[in-house]
Amino acid sequence: MSQEIATIRVTRYRPEKDSQPFFQEYKVPYRHDMVVLDALNYIKAELDGSLTYRWSCRMGVCGSCGANIDGEPKLTCASFLHEFKDRTITVEPMSHFPVIKDLVVDMEDFMEKLVKIKPWIIRKKDSLVEEGEYRQSSKELDRYQQFSSCINCMLCYAACPIYGLNEKFLGPAATALAYRYIEDSRDQGKDIRFPIVHEIEGVWECTLVGECSVVCPKGVDPMLAIQRTKILGATNAIKSILMPRGGR
Amino acid sequence: MAENKHYPELRKRLTPGWWTANRHYAMYMVREWTSLFVALYSLIFIYGLSLWATGSRADFLNFLKNPAVIGFSLVALVFTMYHAATWFYLLGAVAPVKIGRSKTKPWQALILNLILLVIVSYLAIWLVVLR
Repeated sequence: MSQEIATIRVTRYRPEKDSQPFFQEYKVPYRHDMVVLDALNYIKAELDGSLTYRWSCRMGVCGSCGANIDGEPKLTCASFLHEFKDRTITVEPMSHFPVIKDLVVDMEDFMEKLVKIKPWIIRKKDSLVEEGEYRQSSKELDRYQQFSSCINCMLCYAACPIYGLNEKFLGPAATALAYRYIEDSRDQGKDIRFPIVHEIEGVWECTLVGECSVVCPKGVDPMLAIQRTKILGATNAIKSILMPRGGR
Repeated sequence: MAENKHYPELRKRLTPGWWTANRHYAMYMVREWTSLFVALYSLIFIYGLSLWATGSRADFLNFLKNPAVIGFSLVALVFTMYHAATWFYLLGAVAPVKIGRSKTKPWQALILNLILLVIVSYLAIWLVVLR
C-alpha cells in the first residue's frame, strides 16, 4: 500500500532574507492520528530545519502553538489533519500580531496587557499565614472559574477584528482575566482594576463580534466577561451618582 | 525588548474586506448594517410625526400611504426584526437568568423578548389607533 500524503502550506518569513512572506509547500506522510503540530515537527526534523514555530506541551495546555489554520485561529496541537478537506492545510502566523519569523509572532503587546490588569489576588491588607487560607464556597468559585481556564494562547486576539484595527484595545483574554479577579470573592482590588478595564481602549472598545469566544480552545467566554465588565462599570457609575458616599 | 530586535517584524494591516473571511464576521457586519435602516426609519417616522404635530393628520396618513414609504418600511421592518433578534439573543447570552439550579439559554431570551415585543407593539397600536 502506498503511503498517503498530506500537503502543508506554511507561511515563510525570514526577515534577514525576505521583505515579503511567501508560502512554502511540504509533503508529509499522513497518519490518521496526526495533528498539524506533528506535521510541522516532521517538516522541521526531516525536510527543512529552518522552519520556525513555537510549541511546547503538545496537549492543549501551554498555549504556545497557536496559528491560523486554513484561516481560523487554532492550536496546531489540537487540529487533526483528517479534519481538513483533501489533506491540504494552510498554516499561517496568527493574525494581528507582528511576525518575527515564519509562524512566530511577537507576544510583547499581550504580555504587557496581561501584567497591566494585575492577574493576582490583591488584598487591602495581607493576613498572616497563621490565620489560614482565604476560604471560598463552591458558589463563589462558580462565578469566575471558567475565566481562570485561559492558557494565554492569544487565539482570541487573532480572531478579534477590533484588536486588528486598534492594537491599543485591551482585548479578550486580558479582560477575561481581569474579570476573573474582579469576580473572585477573595480579591479586594476592584478599585485598582476598574479604571484599567474601563479606559477608552478597555472594554468599551468591544463591539460584540463574539469570535473570541468561538475560537477559545479552553471554553472560556471572553465576550461574556467583557460585557459583564461593562455592566459592572455602568452600574457602579450609576451608583456613584445616586449614592456619592456609599455607592460602591 | 525593542532594542534587541535586529530584523524588521512583519506587520499586516486589516483589509477593508476582513468581514468576508468567515460566516460569523459576515453576520456581525449584517447586524451592524441593519442599524442604519433602524436609524433611517426613525428619521422618516419623526418626519411623519412632525406632520401630525403641525396639525395635519391627513398629510401624515398620505405620507404613510406613499408606496416608497411603505416599501422602505417593509424593508426596515425585516432588518429591524433581525437587529432586535440578534440583540435579544446576545442579551440572553450575556445575562442569563438563574432558575433553581439551571440557567436560561440565549434562545429562550430571544423567544421571550420577541413575544414581549409583539405584546408591547400590540398595546401601542391599540392605544394609538384601535381604541
